[in-house]
Amino acid sequence: MRRLWPRHVRSRMTLWYVLVLGVLLLAYAVVASSYLFFSLREQLDHDLLEDSERVEGRLENSPDGMVTLSSVHHGEDEPDMQRFVEVWSGDGRLLYHSPALRQRTLGAPPTAGPDHTAEDTPSTLRLSDGTRIRMTTSTHTMADRRVLLRVAHSEQGLWQELEEFGSVLLVALPLALILAGFGGFALARKALAPIDAMAHHAERISAERLNERLPIENPEDELGHLARAFNATLARLEAAFDQLRRFTADASHELRTPLTAIRSVGEVALQVPKSAAEYRDVIGSMLEETDRLTRLVDSLLTLSRADAGHIQVQRTDISLLGLAQEASSLVEVLAEEKQQRILVEGDPTLMVSGDRLILRQALVNLIDNAIKYSPAEAEILVRVAAGKDSQLIVEVVDQGPGVSQEHQSRIFDRFYRVDSARSREWGGAGLGLAIARWAVEIHGGQITVQSVEGQGSTFRVALLPTALKEERT
Amino acid sequence: MRILVVEDEAKVARALQEGLEREGYQVVVARTGEEGFYLVNAEAFDLVILDLMLPGRGGLEILSTIRKRGLLTPVLILTARDAVEDRVLGLDQGADDYLVKPFAFPELLARTRALLRRGRTQLVPQLQLADLEMDVLARRVRRGGKDVEFTTREFELLEYLLRHREQVVSREMLARDVWREPSRATPLDSVIEVHISRLRHKIDERFDRKLIHTIRGVGYVLREEQ
Repeated sequence: MRRLWPRHVRSRMTLWYVLVLGVLLLAYAVVASSYLFFSLREQLDHDLLEDSERVEGRLENSPDGMVTLSSVHHGEDEPDMQRFVEVWSGDGRLLYHSPALRQRTLGAPPTAGPDHTAEDTPSTLRLSDGTRIRMTTSTHTMADRRVLLRVAHSEQGLWQELEEFGSVLLVALPLALILAGFGGFALARKALAPIDAMAHHAERISAERLNERLPIENPEDELGHLARAFNATLARLEAAFDQLRRFTADASHELRTPLTAIRSVGEVALQVPKSAAEYRDVIGSMLEETDRLTRLVDSLLTLSRADAGHIQVQRTDISLLGLAQEASSLVEVLAEEKQQRILVEGDPTLMVSGDRLILRQALVNLIDNAIKYSPAEAEILVRVAAGKDSQLIVEVVDQGPGVSQEHQSRIFDRFYRVDSARSREWGGAGLGLAIARWAVEIHGGQITVQSVEGQGSTFRVALLPTALKEERT
Repeated sequence: MRILVVEDEAKVARALQEGLEREGYQVVVARTGEEGFYLVNAEAFDLVILDLMLPGRGGLEILSTIRKRGLLTPVLILTARDAVEDRVLGLDQGADDYLVKPFAFPELLARTRALLRRGRTQLVPQLQLADLEMDVLARRVRRGGKDVEFTTREFELLEYLLRHREQVVSREMLARDVWREPSRATPLDSVIEVHISRLRHKIDERFDRKLIHTIRGVGYVLREEQ
């Protein structure tokens, strides 16, 4: 069954079309034939009743007690049809039998009284040889004698006309269906042709040629919509591929820097013999670079696992101010070394539902940055407050050089650095803010930066309160 | 103490063998899963260090077979994958501890010691190294008979170093065990450095005999000699 069903949409559409049309035409044929049949029979009945009256007027008693039909008067209209007549006496004797009937009879002799067999409407019956006839019965009084008159017309003409009509339909209907099938197939193919073209076009678009787009002929119709949707998917794919490519290139670059250091330090150390202490120093220096590599790889793994959705957020209710204090106390000594002050302030009752370690990591990264970029003796403000739409806000305000407008949108991108030489000197790989953004966004929050060059920056984290926690996958 | 190291990477295997032998352990190295499986069945070991990614018979398979046979030898697994599920899988199969590659060698030694003395651990409240004394319960530290004041974090750091005296501890161990920060992605190195320099300032500066030593590129150690 499955195999018989056509594979292509256009064939299926045509098949359905032909099927539906066939059913409709069949219904039409049935209705039309019935109508024809009933109107023809009505005509036949009408003629029969008229003829019956005419025959009645021509009945004559013959001397032998039988009945004869008088000859047709001149000028009187005699219908050209096969007519059968029988006249029966009240006691069941056949008084007249028209020659056309030959040996056949128009039914059994009337048994009951003549009144019972007299009918107003004609009825259909079959003669002994199978001829279908339409017969009317009436009673008649002839010289004190009641006789029963049966007049019948053959239905042959009626059936012949029906047959002719039927044979016309039998030829015309399949022909119409075949024509409709071809027409439907052509129409479906024409309608589906743009989809075929789209599929061919789409097949040619590979990972290397994602910048290509499908042509949109009519943006308003369904196909235009399909093409637009497809193009939008392509655009997202292209963006994702670009990001991946850039990420891979950046990551390789970042890995290359410590690798170069390890290699050159090792090669240079082997050029001339050195004392044990010097070798120890060289090996230590190489191990430091290994540490950097390790941390870089771990950060990348954290981000890639986050991308893949493999990190599970273990939510608990946390005091946001407490979290900010904890984060700042982790890195506070770094500020002390630069004679900076970290001020943590805000409403201690604000609770957030989140993963303590992940959120703390975001705040540590922000405060760590603020310490790095602010000058000595600066003040760093960590402010916890309720924002609008019942959001919870943590702001980290530094007194650093600020971030210019062009960098603000990309500062949370992986490996993005405002000043690469300076950041690397501080040991960063340009992933801290990317990790912070991931940590905030996995909690359904947002992270933004406001900054005026030369006047410091404010990093702002907006989170949802406990009551409004929202799972994001 | 006999340790079986099942590790296919030649350099890592040799480094493990050399490092562990220097610490006075007897080390047998198996370079394939099959070899490790055979050795575990044939000989008695006090500890198995098992790489999970092995050619042939995988580490997890060896581990579950060891446990099914009823061998209670402690197993420390080494894995390059640190997704939570991988760790859980290893621990579920009967591993006693795990280390994520690349690991710091001092950390491997610390875990090894911990597994070998398991059941005999007790936290001594009185710690001492040379003339440095610590009373953990009273939270009091004396060097050369004089009280030294510490912040909470400094005290915890010193306690950790004292408990691991004469053993090198890595920054990673400190970040995880003293600062309780499990993610290596969080930058705590400079924080640790600052704390160490403050400890130095408080307990070493006024004395000729320095106790806190930096092993460059590896970590720190609290010991009497250079």
